[in-house]
Parts: sequence; structure tokens; C-alpha cells
Amino acid sequence: MLMVITGRCRLESSRIEEAMNKLEGLIKPMRLVHDLERLAVAAVGGALRDAGLSFPIGDSTVGMYIGIDDAVEDIKDKYFSGVLADGILGASPLLFPFTSPNALAAQVSIAFDLRGEGIVMPINGSCPDVIEYATDCIAGEHAKKAIAGAITIKDRRLSIEEARYYAEFFVVESEGDAVKRGARTYNLNSSGAGNRECI
Amino acid sequence: MGKTVVVTGIGLVTPLSPFGTIGDFWIALCSGTDAVRRMPSPLLDTGREWLMAEIDVPDYVRPEEKYFYLADHAMRMTVSDAKLENRHAGLSVGTVLGNILSKQRRLMNAGNGPKRELESLSYLVPYLAAKHEFGGPQLTISTACASGTDAIGVAARKVMSGKTDVMIAGGVDVLSDFALTGFHSLQALTETKVRPFDKNRSGLALGEGAAFIVLESEEHAMQRGANVYGKVLGYSSRLDAHHLTAPHREGRGLAAAIKQALLQAGLGPAGIGYINAHGTGTVYNDLMETVVIKKVFGDYAYGIPVSSTKSMVGHSFGAAGAVETICCLLSIKNKMIPPTINYEERDPECDLDYVPNKSRQRDVRVAMSLSAGFGGQNSAIIVGEAC
Repeated sequence: MLMVITGRCRLESSRIEEAMNKLEGLIKPMRLVHDLERLAVAAVGGALRDAGLSFPIGDSTVGMYIGIDDAVEDIKDKYFSGVLADGILGASPLLFPFTSPNALAAQVSIAFDLRGEGIVMPINGSCPDVIEYATDCIAGEHAKKAIAGAITIKDRRLSIEEARYYAEFFVVESEGDAVKRGARTYNLNSSGAGNRECI
Repeated sequence: MGKTVVVTGIGLVTPLSPFGTIGDFWIALCSGTDAVRRMPSPLLDTGREWLMAEIDVPDYVRPEEKYFYLADHAMRMTVSDAKLENRHAGLSVGTVLGNILSKQRRLMNAGNGPKRELESLSYLVPYLAAKHEFGGPQLTISTACASGTDAIGVAARKVMSGKTDVMIAGGVDVLSDFALTGFHSLQALTETKVRPFDKNRSGLALGEGAAFIVLESEEHAMQRGANVYGKVLGYSSRLDAHHLTAPHREGRGLAAAIKQALLQAGLGPAGIGYINAHGTGTVYNDLMETVVIKKVFGDYAYGIPVSSTKSMVGHSFGAAGAVETICCLLSIKNKMIPPTINYEERDPECDLDYVPNKSRQRDVRVAMSLSAGFGGQNSAIIVGEAC
């Protein structure tokens, strides 16, 4: 089964608001607490729009496979610094759930009503394993389409507004399905050449 | 469907008979041993004691090394049990918080502590691969409390698809002040006992552990004459898409995961002989799981024993799903179902057979482990006896 990429979005954290504005009124109203969540939602939304897919998705045919590097450690540091400063009372119930990397996938799933598979893989900077697993899941008929990509920390010295984080997401599906729905495809092939371009 | 995947090795370290044999673990589990104790927080003085299930390690193991120590011990046990010499094996490890005590130590020392890279969630797998000289695919999975189950499911698919012949998969996490304070802030911890499915259940107790299984293609296992514990018949992951911390009240995602796993296994509702529930002991989780089991299995639900081994070992996050999959495999092997302990009063809304307080003999041929976690993560894995 030949896999193709039909949607793509690359986004730096300095452009989160601009990207979120494009999703206004299209996603479920929800409170996004941390900038990483906003980046994840904005980037996945961009990829879905690029693929010509309307949302909310509302079923389990689209799987989500997300790689994340040490970007999530920033949230953990912030949470535990509160505990160190104020003891038990410094433990934020608002922040704690976001110390688990899959919180990002969760917020994306709620925003776009994605009820399919959800796998989060901590990575070390690049995400070919994530893309490979996503394509495996389509080939194995565990998902019809996949949203696959990663969120990484670009430069720890930068602030969020200066593009501290970077996200890149793809919509992957079988060539047959893409042709059937008349989707535009990127010039990437199933041998893995396309995967190498991921972050 | 791809290759048949069998389980040929097991290894685990849990608060029940830690560093003992698999047999020791099983005896302690089926005896209904409660490993949950009241004790101080691992590194911080939080001014109180906490109910948790801890693993005592030798004094020479520093707290920030415990994560690696447990993982390495369980890995050696697993490889030895499988008599595995295949150095092409891949690794798939579930973890939620990683080496969190290392982070705590660094932050407590104002940044002058263990190297930051040791905290990285992706650090453990290459570390284990290098230490045990495994050259196959390396994956880390972090899907909250479903991490261990998903790590096994993802690995099983790698073998099923023919990408590799052997994967070692499971999970690890350790107790930490980080998790204790976090779950306390969410009011999820019990102040009495872990009583899954009981009317007076009041929350979970944290635990810790490491657990792995060896997954390999049936033909590869046969070629090397491996001992087979059972087969992986089905696995599925589904998202609730509902709420960050609360489960969907009707268990939309978990129900979908179970249905999909049953479909993959080619089984109907009569095909499951035992369910190892996620069974945290929280009000909403246990009710949601009961609702889901009744919805998916219909009238058969009342005839399926459902137990929560977390009542004995606590909730070990990334390791939990792997420990519970092992419980399912051992139930099939030993024809015995471990109990849900501390069960005293029946909840009219939780009216299934929860195997209260005493283990039970039963000819289990197919068993299912359920996992649900923050973020609306849901996973179901089905294992069956080897023919």
C-alpha cells in the first residue's frame, strides 16, 4: 500500500496566535493553558486544513501519532518549582495534568473531536519512528488516515515568542484514498524519503 | 492479519515480593497481599505521610538511580526467562514521568544536580538497548496510565507486520514527590485503602515498578524452541476526545477500544474468560469501566470475572499496563484469577463479579487487560493461551 502525505504544517511558537486565529470558530471552544498545547492544536489544525479535511472529525478513523522531545520538561520544571516554593499547596492541579506528554494529544483530540488511536512517543529531536508507525497503522488497517508529527524544543535559550518551540505535522493516508477524495499529495514517497524531511 | 505474536518471556519488579521470582509475585498476588503502606514522601519533607506501594532497593542505589535500577532488573529477568539470545530484539517502553527523581534532585539543588539529559523520557530505551546490546527498533511510549499497554501493543504490531522478529516491551515508573503532590492536588489519592469497585472507594494509591514481556513471531519462537506463555490476540487504542482528566462518563473511548480489540481477535463477548480492569479505586474510573463492560459484553458481563490488581500493588503508571498484561498471561498459565482486595461493600452501580478478596480457580483461556488514563487515553489488549 503506497502512502502519501496530503497535508502539512510547520509552525514556530512565535506564530501560534496567527495560526490559532485561522481556527477561530472552527474548533471546540476550550481553554488552552500552556503554549505547547496551543502550538499542537494550531499545527494539527493547519495540517488538517492543508489536507482539505473538515473538522470536527467525530469518528475513530483518524489516528494521531505525536512525537515530543524535552519540550514537555519545561512544564514539569514549572510544576515542581511551585511545589518547591510552597510545598503541597504549591502543587497546581491545573498544571499537573500537562506534565504528561499525552496531554497535548488529548487537547488536540478534544479540539478536533479525534476519537481514533492516540499514541505519543517521546523522541530525541526527530520523528521518523513516529511517521513510520503511523504508516504501519494505516497499512495494518488500524487507522484510515493519520496525523503524524512532532513538537520539539528549537532552542532552550529562546523565549516562546522568539520561537522556542517548533511543530511539524503531516496528514498521511493511502494513495488510493487520497485519489478517491481528490486530495493533493506532496511529492514524498513511501520508501521513507519523505520521512527524513520531518523536523 | 500478519504474523502470530507470542509471549515467550516475562520479568517484573513490583512492590509485591520485589526482586523475587515470577512465581513469588504470583503467589503474593493470589494470596491477596496488600503492598500499600503509609510512609513519608521520597525526597521532600511534605509534612505528612502518604499511602503508597514502594519497592525497597539496596542502600547503594541513590533515589535518582532507582528508575534505571528497576528497569534494568526487570529487563535482565525478562531476557533470562525467555532464554533470549537474539540481539536484534527491539525495545518498546512505556513511561509517564521518566526519571523524575533525577529532575527533582536537580531542581532541589537549584540546577546543580544530575545531568538534565537523564530526565529525558527518551533516555531510558537507548540506555537499556546499549546495556543489553539490543539492535532492533527503539520506541518510547507515553500515553499516561495506558503507556505500558500501548508499549506492548505497539511492539506487537511491529512483530505482526514482520518489521522485526522479537520485541521486548513493557513499562517503568517510580514513586516521586512530584506525582504524590500532583495527584493530591487533584484529590485522587485515598486516605484509607484502595478499594476498587467498592461502594466506599475513595481513590488510588501510587505504586512503582518495572515490567516487560518478550514478544516474538510464532515461527521465530518455534525455531528456537522457546517456552510460550500465550498469544497476543488483539490490541486497540482509542481516545475519548472529551476531557483532559475526567473519563468520558459512558466510556466512549474504552468501549471503542474493547470492541476493536475483540474484532481483531475474532472474538465475541463470550470469548473473554477474565478481565484485568484498570480499576484505580476512584469513583469515576470504576463506574465508567463497569458501564463499559456491561455495554460491550451485554448479559455476558455478569459471568466474566473482573479484578483490579492495583488494589494490591498500587498504581505504577507506565508500568501498570505491563504488570496487568502479565497478570492476564499468568492467569491463563496458572488457571487462577487474582482478587480485588479491600472489597467490603457492594456498590449498586458497580454490580459485576469483581473477585472480591479471594483468588479463584478458573480455566481462563483468553484474558483482557484494560487501561485508561489522563487525556482520555484508552487501551485494551487481549491475550490467549498457546495452542
